[in-house]
Amino acid sequence: MQIFTQLLFSGIALGMIYAVIAFGYQLTFATSDTLNFGQGDALMLGALVGLTLVNLGVNYWLMIPLVCLFGAAQGAFVERIGVRPAIKIKSEFGWIMSTIALGIIFKNVAENVWGRDDLKFPSPLPESPMHFLGANVLPMEILVVVGAVLMMLAVEIFNRKSIYGKAVVATFNDRDAAKLMGINTGLVITFSYALSSTTAAFAGVLIAPLTLTGATMGAVLGLKAFAVAIIGGLTSGMGIIVGGIILGVAETTTGFYLSTGYKDVPGLVLLLIVLAVKPAGLFGKSAIKKV
Amino acid sequence: MLKITNLHAGYGKVEVLHGITLEVPKGSVVTLIGSNGAGKTTTMRAISGMIAPTEGRITLGGEDITGRESHRIAKLGVAHSPEGRRVFATMTVNDNLLLGAFPRLTGSRPKGDVTADLARAMEYFPRLKERRLQLAGTLSGGEQQMLAMARAMMMNPDVVLLDEPSMGLAPILVEEVFRIIARLRKEGVTMMLVEQFAAAALNVADYGYVLENGRIAVHGPAEKLKNDPAVKAAYLGGH
Ligand SMILES: Nc1ncnc2c1ncn2[C@@H]1O[C@H](COP(=O)(O)OP(=O)(O)OP(=O)(O)O)[C@@H](O)[C@H]1O
Ligand SMILES: [Mg+2]
Repeated sequence: MQIFTQLLFSGIALGMIYAVIAFGYQLTFATSDTLNFGQGDALMLGALVGLTLVNLGVNYWLMIPLVCLFGAAQGAFVERIGVRPAIKIKSEFGWIMSTIALGIIFKNVAENVWGRDDLKFPSPLPESPMHFLGANVLPMEILVVVGAVLMMLAVEIFNRKSIYGKAVVATFNDRDAAKLMGINTGLVITFSYALSSTTAAFAGVLIAPLTLTGATMGAVLGLKAFAVAIIGGLTSGMGIIVGGIILGVAETTTGFYLSTGYKDVPGLVLLLIVLAVKPAGLFGKSAIKKV
Repeated sequence: MLKITNLHAGYGKVEVLHGITLEVPKGSVVTLIGSNGAGKTTTMRAISGMIAPTEGRITLGGEDITGRESHRIAKLGVAHSPEGRRVFATMTVNDNLLLGAFPRLTGSRPKGDVTADLARAMEYFPRLKERRLQLAGTLSGGEQQMLAMARAMMMNPDVVLLDEPSMGLAPILVEEVFRIIARLRKEGVTMMLVEQFAAAALNVADYGYVLENGRIAVHGPAEKLKNDPAVKAAYLGGH
């Protein structure tokens, strides 16, 4: 039981990371009906840039806003280079290819800059576990959960309360009508990409001290978070938190009770099931729109 | 205020408007009459930049706005209440109205008193007041129509384009909408109105244009058009 509680805690921490990345998928889908398939690589870049900053002597807490800024710039770049041209020519799937391609390019760049080996990210918090409900919890795991929740809450509050956030929601509702209100929807889409990569980069520096950091860390995370986004729903905030936690816990328990070699299996099986059972759910909003 | 010269526009390769010239002077209400498919909505879309004209010129207060992006045209003071309502369904009535004031709240148009204008919109449309925290998507069709109109007014625009504001409304509400248009006209709001009820539209308008197959067939002061035998036979019969 004690072990299970412990697996539960690390599962929740991992699940919140999936939830944050999935949240990033939702952000761009809401405004533009497109997804950044390089989301995992945005996370990886965030973690590596963060690591470099920390190695240069920047304090971990000070590094976070810098990495978020980097993520925003990186996301805006992806939108301008990869997505906008596809939207402009109304290419239905061009953005899929271009965001995947940009993701691969970022991974190659990272391999050249930071090397192919996994690096250790120094933990900003004590690495000795705390005891909670009879189980061991790493302070870093608590930070992950708190940070992820705060990030999502902050975006929600921005969307609900500020006029710019309302403009984002209006763009999600009806792009043409939003333009008639004087909203620059092109900019809103760029912004949503920037925000989406910001959340990914932020997730990167949260998870990095718990895992190894390297050019390949993003791909699998991005893929699994994609499964979570589809299962949880591309428009439901609660859905991705629940979906993320279920997947996170499934992975930590599989890793422990079966073998760590199989820990990626639940997520990828989940993805396969989703693709088999709910292919229409992939692009849920457009399907609804057509009705 | 708004001037259109030799406007050609359409969708893809299909030209719908074949050279339209019309004018909406400041403080006046101009109505555009025509049968289904004549190009009324297309004209409004070209003015607000939702489609790009292929030829011709559109000026607003002397400034050339031809082919500009629609969010820029909106910020210059053109409010377009589009055909089919297009309210923001997952947002509250109140938020929809606030978004109408987006250019004012973000510094691209004079701010004025947004709160007072919100109260005024609710006074014009008491039904919206009762439902201000309700999601727009859950309003009845008629209520959404009113919301779309009120939202356009929240911009404090220089020109308002109303595309069939009475569409789908019960007769009693149609009267209400025309009363509101008459009231706005008295307040000096510059307006371009497209309506299926041509007779009622000519009653509240100063001037009218009749659009036939993408061309202006007849135009003149509303009083005169009302009594034009050809217009009467084609558009005012039965009303
Ligand atoms: N999005 C579009 N794509 C292609 N053709 C269109 C589109 N919208 C309108 N049209 C065509 O343009 C022509 C003019 O349409 P428009 O909507 O301007 O007419 P309207 O005068 O507003 O008619 P109604 O009274 O029915 O609203 C029609 O022949 C219509 O089929
Ligand atoms: Mg029309």
